[in-house]
Amino acid sequence: MTADLTMDVVVLGGGPAGLAAASGARAAGASTLVVEREERLGGILKQCVHDGFGLLRFKERLSGPEYALREAARAMAAGAQMLLEAFVTRAERGADGRFSLDCVSREGVRRVKAKALVLATGCRERTDRQAFIHGDRPAGIFTAGLAQYLVNVQGLLPGKRAVILGSGDIGLIMARRLVLEGVEVEGVYEIKGEPSGLTRNVHQCLENYGIALSLCSTVSEVRGRRRVEGVTIARTDARQRMVAGSEQAIACDTLILSVGLIPENELALSLGVPLDSATKGPRLDQNMHTLVDGVFACGNAVQVSDLADYVSESGEIAGRAAAAFALGPLRERVLVPLKAGPGLLYAVPQFVDAASPTPVVTYFRSNSSLLEGARVTIRGSACGAILSRAYLALRPPEMERLVVPERDYTGESSIFVELEREEREAIHG
Amino acid sequence: MLVIPIAKATKKLRERFGASLEPRDDRGSLLLEGTVPSWDAKIEAGWAAARFGYHGVVNDLMVPGVCDEALEQPPLRDGALEGAYFDVAIVGGGVIGAALARELARWELSVLVLEKEYDLAVHTSGRNDGMIHDGFAASPGTKKAAYNVRGNRLWEPLCRELGIEFKRPGSLVIFRGRTSAIAYPLMVARAKENAVDGWEYWSRARLRAEEPNVHPDQHGAFFLPSAGVLSPYKATIALAENAAANGVRFSFDTCLLSMGVEGGRVASLRTNRGEFRAGVVVNAAGNWADVVAGMAGDRFFSLHQRCGTELILDINTGATQRHIMSMPSLLQVRSKTKGGGLVLTPEGNVLAGPTARERPGREDYSTSAAELRELERHLKINTKLSLSQVISYFAGVRPCSYEEDFIIEKSRRVANLVHAAGIQSPGLASAPAIAADLAAMVVDIAAGFKAVRLRARWMPHRGTKPELRRLPLEERAQAIARDGSYGRIVCRCEEVSEGEVRDSLRTLLPVYSLDAVKRRTRAGMGRCHGAFCTPRVMEIIASETGMEPCAVSKKGPGSYLCAGKTKEHKAQAAEARS
Repeated sequence: MTADLTMDVVVLGGGPAGLAAASGARAAGASTLVVEREERLGGILKQCVHDGFGLLRFKERLSGPEYALREAARAMAAGAQMLLEAFVTRAERGADGRFSLDCVSREGVRRVKAKALVLATGCRERTDRQAFIHGDRPAGIFTAGLAQYLVNVQGLLPGKRAVILGSGDIGLIMARRLVLEGVEVEGVYEIKGEPSGLTRNVHQCLENYGIALSLCSTVSEVRGRRRVEGVTIARTDARQRMVAGSEQAIACDTLILSVGLIPENELALSLGVPLDSATKGPRLDQNMHTLVDGVFACGNAVQVSDLADYVSESGEIAGRAAAAFALGPLRERVLVPLKAGPGLLYAVPQFVDAASPTPVVTYFRSNSSLLEGARVTIRGSACGAILSRAYLALRPPEMERLVVPERDYTGESSIFVELEREEREAIHG
Repeated sequence: MLVIPIAKATKKLRERFGASLEPRDDRGSLLLEGTVPSWDAKIEAGWAAARFGYHGVVNDLMVPGVCDEALEQPPLRDGALEGAYFDVAIVGGGVIGAALARELARWELSVLVLEKEYDLAVHTSGRNDGMIHDGFAASPGTKKAAYNVRGNRLWEPLCRELGIEFKRPGSLVIFRGRTSAIAYPLMVARAKENAVDGWEYWSRARLRAEEPNVHPDQHGAFFLPSAGVLSPYKATIALAENAAANGVRFSFDTCLLSMGVEGGRVASLRTNRGEFRAGVVVNAAGNWADVVAGMAGDRFFSLHQRCGTELILDINTGATQRHIMSMPSLLQVRSKTKGGGLVLTPEGNVLAGPTARERPGREDYSTSAAELRELERHLKINTKLSLSQVISYFAGVRPCSYEEDFIIEKSRRVANLVHAAGIQSPGLASAPAIAADLAAMVVDIAAGFKAVRLRARWMPHRGTKPELRRLPLEERAQAIARDGSYGRIVCRCEEVSEGEVRDSLRTLLPVYSLDAVKRRTRAGMGRCHGAFCTPRVMEIIASETGMEPCAVSKKGPGSYLCAGKTKEHKAQAAEARS
C-alpha cells in the first residue's frame, strides 16, 4: 500500500463540477485533491465536441473539451492536486470525524484522509432495459453517450442506419453527429408530447439537418438475434401508453437511446447521505452541504442540469463551502426547508441554511410546459413573498435559476417556491 | 407404468383434440400427427399423451402459422475436426455437457465437446436464476426429485474445487392467508418423500424477525435451509475450464449437422468443421436434444419450450433480504413450475421471477411488457423493492419433455448413444449428479471397445485468478504491485479492473466477445449496463488479440458492435453520392 495522504478537501470526480469545486476550495485556502477515475480530466465534456458551452461562465462559445481544459487549467493553477485513473472503492467516516477513502490506481491502494468531501460524481444514462424496451437483445443498441464516445473519442461508427429513441439533449446532438458521419438517421422518436431536450437543440440538431422528430411515439420492440435488424414504433397516448394497432416496423441496424439521466450517488448512499426522490441527488442546502456534515455535492450528481455552466457554478459553491467546513470551526446549521410547490418537478437546494451568509441560488423545473406564461414566487412561511418573477414560458427540459435575496430566514419554518399559470396579457401589462 | 393400447389412446386424444389427430405407436413411443388449432392445444395434447405410459411422446402436430424451426448454423467452415477420432463426443457445452466433460476427464478417454455457439452456457445454462434448489418442489418419485437432492449436496464441494462462489441462503415458502395450518403437514410429507436436507416451520414472528422487510400480509413460512445459489454461467465455464485443464477438447462455433449410423452405432459425426468419428456420443444438446436424437434415428421424445423471464435488480438490493423467498398462491398448485419468487445472486443482486410460458422458439429470448407486469407481484414480497431498482431483465427457455421429467438414459436403439435431455428446472441444481450417472454410462459403453482406466494425473482444482473487489486491501495492493493493470478499474459499477478482463482472455478456453467477458468478470453487468465500460473492454480485447476494436463482437459471429471506422465510412458515403 502506498502512503496515506491527508487533505482538507477531497473532490470525487474531475468533470466540470469537480474541477470548479477544486478551484473554489483552493481559492478558500484548503489543500485539495481531485480523484478522477478516467485517464484525463473533464468528465463527459471530453466527448462533447460540439460547441455552445461556457456562454455564462466564460462569456464565450466553447466546445466541450475546450471548456474542460479551461476548468482543469484553473483548478491546477489554483494548486489542486489531481489523482487520475483512480477509483474510490470505499468511503467512510472515522472516529476522528475525518473521512477515509480507499483509492485504487495503477500505483496501488492509497488511503486518503479528508476533512471534507465534495461528491462530483456526475450521472449515468438510463438504459434500454430501464426504459423497459422489449423484443430481442442483439448488438446495436447504444445509449447516446456511449455512441458519442465511440464516434468522437474512438472514431468508430456504431452503425449505418439508426433510429433514435428519446429527444434528450445527447440524443439530439448525436442525431446531428451521426448524419455528419454519413449515417442515415431514420428519425428521432419521443414518447412524450414535447421534446425532452432544449429547444435550441431541436432547431440546431434536427431541423437544420432535416431529421424528423416524431412525438407521442416510442419503440415497442427490437428485432434481430445477433445485430439489430429493425424496430417497431408505436404511437403513445397522453399517458404514454402504446396505442394498439399503431405499430409500424422500421428497418435499421442501430438503436440509440436518449431516455434520461440518473445522478450517480452510490458513494453518497454508502456515507448515509439522504437523497431527494425527485432529483435522485442528495438533499442539500445553499452551500451544497448535504445532510451529512462535511459531505458536499455538486453538478449532475445533485440534479441533471441542462448547462455545464450551472454544473460548474454549483461546484464552485460546494468547493468554497467544503473548504470553509474543513478549515473553520464547526458551525451549527439552521436548516429551513425550501419546498417546491404544485406544478414544479423539484427545487434545489432543498434547504436554506439560515445561519449561513451564502446567497441562495435556487434551481427549479416545471413539470409540464407552460407556454402561455407563468409566475414563480418565493415565499416564506412567516415573511410572505420574498421574490416574484414572471416567465414568458416554462418547459421541463429547461432549468430555471433564481437568486433569493439575502435576508434573515431564521424565523421561517419553510420557504416555498410557488408556481402560478399566468395569462400572457398579465406579463405585458 | 401401464401402457394404454394405441386404439384407446387414439380415442381419448381425438375426443379432446379433434378427429384429425393421428397417434401412432412408433417403436414404443407415442407419435402424434395431424393438425391442432393452436400452440397451446399442441402442448396440451403432448401432456395428455404422456400419461399413456409410452417410452416417450413425439409431438409432430402441426399448428397453422407455426413453422418448424431450423437450426441456425455458425458461419465458420473449416476442416479442424476432419478425420479425427475421440473416445467420447459430447454434443452441447451447457452445464450438463461441461459437468460430464469434467467427470470424464478423470478417465483415460479422449473427449471432445461440440458447442455450436461462440461460448459456453449461452442458452439455458446461462439463462436462469442460478438457484440450487432444495428438491422440495419436484414431484416425488421423479428423476428431477432424486437428482435435485443429490446435486444439491454435490455443488458446494464442487464449487470449492472450481474456485467459484456458492452460497446457501436457504429458501422461504411464505404462507399467504391462513392456509399454513393445512399446507404445513402436506409440505413436510413431500419434503420427507423427496429426502430434502432439512426443513423448518417459521412462525409469523420468526419470519418478521429474520426478514424485517417481508410483506406484512404473511402467515409464517416453510423454511428449506439447503437451497443455495451460484452463478450458472461461471459454474459452467469453470467446469469446462477444469475439464480442459485435464485434457478435454472443446470446439466452439461447431454445429452437429448429421450422424452416420451403421450397425446400430453412431459411426460418424458431420459438422461445419469437418466429419469425425467417436466411440460414444452423448446428447446434451439442450433445446435441440430431440433434433440430435433424430439425427441418430432415435427420436423417441419431443421437447417443448417453456420460456421464462427474470428481472435483475440493482446490486444494492441484496442487503434488504437474507433468504430466497417465494409467496405462492393457491392457484399455482397445478402449474408446471414452482411459480417463481425472489432469488439472491452470490454477488448481491435480487432476481425476481421466472415466468413460465409455452411458446414456440427454441432460442427466442425476446421479452414482453406483459411478462414484466406479471413479475411485479414478486417485488411485493420484499417491501424494500420497486420497479425503479430493476437494472435489466432476461429470458431463458426450458427444454421440457412431455413427461416433464429428465431423460437420462442409454439409447434403446443406438448402442453407443447416451441421452441427457429435457433438462429443465431443477437441471442446474441436478447437474453434478446427472453428470456422475452419465459418466458411468459412458465408461460402461467405452469399456466395450477399450480398457478404461482412471487417469493418474487428475487435477480437480481449477487455478483461479484474483477477483480484486473481494480481496482485503493489503492483498489487493500486492496484486497491483505485481501487475498495475489490476489497479485500473474499467467497469465502475461492478468494480472490475483491466487486469481481470485480461485474465479472462488468457484462460484455456478464451472467448473474445463482450458478453463472454461480461459472464467471466461481470464487466458490463451493473446498473449502467456497459455504457461506460464497453469501449474499454473492446480496446482490451483488441490489444489481447491484435484485432481492430471495431471487429470485436457482442456475442459471436454476426453480432458486430461497430460498422467500421467513422473516417472510412464518410469517405465511402461521399463516394456513393458522387
